[in-house]
Amino acid sequence: MSIVKKPGAIANWYLPGILIGMIFTLKKMIYNLFHKDKMPTLNYPEEKYEYSPRFKGQHVLTVKKDGSIRCTACMLCATNCPAQCIKIVASEHEDPTVEKYPINYEIDVLRCVYCGFCEEACPVDAIRMGPEWQKPGANGFNFTYDIQELAYRPQLKGGIESRLDEKERHDFGI
Amino acid sequence: MPKLTLNGKEIEVPAGSTIIEAYKQLDEPIAHYCWHPGLSIAGVCRLCVVEIEGNPRLQIACNTQIQEGMVVNNNSEKVKTAVKWGLDFHLINHPLDCPICDQAGECELQNQYMEFGKYDPEMAEPKVKKRKVVDLGERVVLDTERCILCSRCVRFTNEVSKTNELGIFNRGDRSEVGTFEDKPLNNKYSVNTVDICPVGALTSKDFRFKQRVWYLKNKPSICTGCSTGCNVNVYYNEEGVFRVKPHYNKEVNGYWMCDEGRDIYKHINRKSRMLRGRYKQNGVWCTTQALEVAKKAGQKLSSFKGEEIAVLVTGQYTNEELNSLVDYSVNKLGSKSVFHWKNNENNWQDFDGHLIRGDKNPNTKGLQGVLQKYAVGGEWKELENQLSKFKAVVVAGPENQSVYFDIKEKIESLKSLECVVWFTAGENSNFEKLSDNSYLIPQKTSVEKNGHFTNHQGLTQKVEEVTTILPEALNLEETVSLMLGNSLDLSIRDKQEMGVLKTNYFSQERGSL
Ligand code: SF4
Ligand code: SF4
Ligand code: SF4
Ligand code: SF4
Ligand code: FES
Repeated sequence: MSIVKKPGAIANWYLPGILIGMIFTLKKMIYNLFHKDKMPTLNYPEEKYEYSPRFKGQHVLTVKKDGSIRCTACMLCATNCPAQCIKIVASEHEDPTVEKYPINYEIDVLRCVYCGFCEEACPVDAIRMGPEWQKPGANGFNFTYDIQELAYRPQLKGGIESRLDEKERHDFGI
Repeated sequence: MPKLTLNGKEIEVPAGSTIIEAYKQLDEPIAHYCWHPGLSIAGVCRLCVVEIEGNPRLQIACNTQIQEGMVVNNNSEKVKTAVKWGLDFHLINHPLDCPICDQAGECELQNQYMEFGKYDPEMAEPKVKKRKVVDLGERVVLDTERCILCSRCVRFTNEVSKTNELGIFNRGDRSEVGTFEDKPLNNKYSVNTVDICPVGALTSKDFRFKQRVWYLKNKPSICTGCSTGCNVNVYYNEEGVFRVKPHYNKEVNGYWMCDEGRDIYKHINRKSRMLRGRYKQNGVWCTTQALEVAKKAGQKLSSFKGEEIAVLVTGQYTNEELNSLVDYSVNKLGSKSVFHWKNNENNWQDFDGHLIRGDKNPNTKGLQGVLQKYAVGGEWKELENQLSKFKAVVVAGPENQSVYFDIKEKIESLKSLECVVWFTAGENSNFEKLSDNSYLIPQKTSVEKNGHFTNHQGLTQKVEEVTTILPEALNLEETVSLMLGNSLDLSIRDKQEMGVLKTNYFSQERGSL
C-alpha cells in the first residue's frame, strides 16, 4: 500500500485538522458529561452488558430438588454436539430409581461453538445455556469444565433446579 | 417346494416353513418380537400380522404355515394399523426409560415405533409400576417394567440352556418375567438372553453403561475362548473393544455363544496389553519398539547352534503364523525341538454338550496340523526333562493368559536359560523375573490380524482384522521375518493405519442417528 500525498504546501500543514478533531471530541465529551444515560458505550469491565435470558452463554448443569445432579448420562447431548466437546462417563447409581448417572461430565468450552444443540437434545432439562458469557483465564487455565464447575460454580448459588422432577413424574404415573 | 407371493414377489420356500421364514428368506422387513429363529414359536406379541388373500382376518406370520399359492402382504394399511395399535398395547405400561436404557439404539420397540407407531397414546390410566434393576446373578440385570413379555428369554432357558430359571409370574398387566424368588440366573449361557431380549429388560452387567451402542461399530470374528471357535461379532470403537456377541453359523455355534467367550475382549484391550517391546541386558530392562526387539532377538538366536534352541508353541495363533514360526525353527534355526504347550490337558476333552470345550485354545487342531507337517512336536514334560540341554528358548506365549494357569511356573522354569524370546500379547508381571538376554515382543491379538483358525471339528475359519488396538504390535509372521533380518514392509501397514485415521467414522457419523 502506498500513501497518497496531495501536492502543495497546504497539505503538509496539519494543525487545522487536529484542531477540528479536538473540538469534535471536546463537544462530545461535554455532551456526554451531562447526558450520561445516552452514552452508547459501556465502562467495561466495571459495567457489564446484560443479555436476554435466552442468550446461549455458559452451560449450566441443573440439579434435582435434593441438590444432586439431574443429568442421567444418556449421552444425547454428546451425540448431538457438532464440536464433540462433551465427554461423559456413566455409572450405576446405588439408588435403583436413579439407575444411571454421570460420574464425569466434561465440556471443553474452547471447542464449544455455543450452538445450543446440547440443550435441545437433553430429554430431562439437565443442561441449559445460561446468560453468563465471560470467563477469563490466564495461560494454562483449564477450560475443560467438570461437574463442579458446570453445576455448582459460585455464581449459580447452589445450583439451578431442573424443571423435570423424577419423583413427580413417577407419582403422576408416567 | 411350494410357491407363494409375498408383497407381490414370488418365492419358493421349503415345505413346512412359516410365513415369517419366507419373509426372512426374501429379506423383506416384518415386525416381530417373540419369534426367534433359534427358538420355538410362541405367537404372543401379535406384531407379525399379515394379510392373506381370501382370509378375512389378519394372521400372525410366525405361526402360519405356508400353503401352495398363498398371496400374502404386510404392507397394506390394514396391517400397518394393526401393528400400530398392537404396539400401543405393548407400550401401555412401558416406562419412559430410553435415556438410561442400554438397549436404546438397538431396541426393537424404538425401531417399530419409528416404523409403525408415531401415534399419541390413548391410555389415560397411570402406568403399572414394576420392579427395576433386579440383580439376576453374575452377569444379568433385569428390569421388569421394560419387559414386553415376549417370552424369548423363558424359551431360551427351557430349550437351549435347559436350565429353566426364567418364567413369567402373575397375570394380566401385573405379569412379570423373573426367576423363582429372584434366584440368580447363573447358567453358562445366560448373556444370550440379553442378546435375544428385543427390549432393554435384560441387560448385561458387564456392558451396562459403558458405551451407547451407536458409538460402536461391529465386525465378525472368531471367539478365541475355546476350541469350538464360535462365530462372533466384535463391537468396538476407537477406545477399544466393548463387547462380543454371537454371530450365526449353522455349523459351529448356531445363534449362541457362552458367557466365558464374552470376556475375551478384556485381554484384547490396551489395559492388559504389552505396550512396548522389552529386552534385558546386563540386568536392566530396556524398552523400545517391538520391531527393534525382534531384530535383536533374531541376532541373538543366530549365535546359538540349532540343537541348543527349543521352541514352545501354544495353539493361540493362526495357522499362517504357526506355520511361519515352525518353518523358521526347522529350516532357519535348524532346531527340531518344537514343543506344544498345553494349558489344561486333564480336561482337554471336556465338553458340556452344547458349546463349551475344555481345550481353551482356538487353534489346537491347526497347530497339530503344522507340527505334523514338519514332523516335529513334543510335550512340555519332554522339554522340562532335557532343559539343561538347551541354551535358548523361543516361546509363542498365550494371547489369553487367564486360561494358562501355569504361566508363572513356566516363566520360572525357563529363567535358568541363557536366552528367552517370548512373544506375548498381554502383560504379565512375572516376565520381570526372566534372566539376561530375554526378549519380550508384543503381539497382535486375534481381532487385529488376518488368518485362519481350525476348530475342534477340523473346520478352518477365517479371522479378519477388526480394528487396530496397538499399532506397534506385530503378528508372528512379521516377527519371524524381522528375526530373519528382513525389514518390515511398513509402507503397507502405514497405509492401513492411515486409512483408519482418515476414515474416522466414529467422529464423522456422530449425530447422524
Ligand atoms: S453448545 Fe453446541 S458445541 Fe457447545 S457443547 Fe453444546 S452442542 Fe456442543
Ligand atoms: S445433559 Fe441431558 S442430554 Fe446430556 S447426558 Fe445428561 S441427561 Fe443426557
Ligand atoms: S426398552 Fe427400548 S423403548 Fe423401552 S426404555 Fe429401553 S430403549 Fe426405550
Ligand atoms: S425379558 Fe426380554 S426376552 Fe424376556 S420376556 Fe421380557 S422382553 Fe422378552
Ligand atoms: S412374532 Fe409372531 S406373534 Fe410375535
